[in-house]
Amino acid sequence: MTYRLPAAALIAAAIIAIPAQVASATGLATCDSGPPDKWQPQATLTAKLKKEGWDVRNVKVDGGCYEVYALDAKGERVEAYFHPVTLERVEIAAE
Amino acid sequence: MSQSRHMIPVWDAAVRVLHWTLVLSVAAAWLTRHSPGSWHEWLGYTTLAVVAARTIWGFIGSRYARFADFVRSVSVTGTYARDVLSAREARFVGHNPLGGWMVLLLLTMVVLVGATGWLYTTDRFWGVEWVEELHEALSNILFGFVALHILGVVFTSIRHRENLPASMLHGRKRES
Repeated sequence: MTYRLPAAALIAAAIIAIPAQVASATGLATCDSGPPDKWQPQATLTAKLKKEGWDVRNVKVDGGCYEVYALDAKGERVEAYFHPVTLERVEIAAE
Repeated sequence: MSQSRHMIPVWDAAVRVLHWTLVLSVAAAWLTRHSPGSWHEWLGYTTLAVVAARTIWGFIGSRYARFADFVRSVSVTGTYARDVLSAREARFVGHNPLGGWMVLLLLTMVVLVGATGWLYTTDRFWGVEWVEELHEALSNILFGFVALHILGVVFTSIRHRENLPASMLHGRKRES
């Protein structure tokens, strides 16, 4: 009787048990945006998008960008990235 | 000795295929949690389909696949747990009482994680922070139970000198 498989399972358990929520950056996009105190406030971006007909649900910071969860003017669900200084939209990896 | 080494079929093909499909789809869903595109969503639907199939199989499957074979009362399970603590627990050919409850717990957690993930893709709840946080918290709890499940399998394998992960692959276990 070999115990190799239980040993492998034990290692798997140890790996799984290590809290995996270390990195906050998802790698979907990065913005070369400098220190956050030079950024435009999130509220400015939210107000701009609302004026364009977006229903903004949540704004987070990811990879130095503002990450916006919203329904756009067409009612489509979007996860969009914006440069926090210029508020320009940043393209993310192809859907 | 040769008598006690006699191997009998325990886990039918459906149990084994569904078990490892669930392992792979949950692992892949975790790996694609931040990926662009709809991989994560389709893997989530796969986990829910597996749980649905396993639930049906729990009523119509072969002997050891049935919930009726391995879901035991709280008092029986409590007695078994005390027996484990004093190292005199009986060996079960199917799931032991603690393992049986772990099956139900894992299936339930997959449903909860999948349901909150689906909720997040609806227009109503898209981008709503508490839904995302609930989905993440439930998946962390699921992985905690997965770790416990693996530890239980390792512990029981050592206690009864058998390779339970291998049995989930080839389906056979020692008769006694």
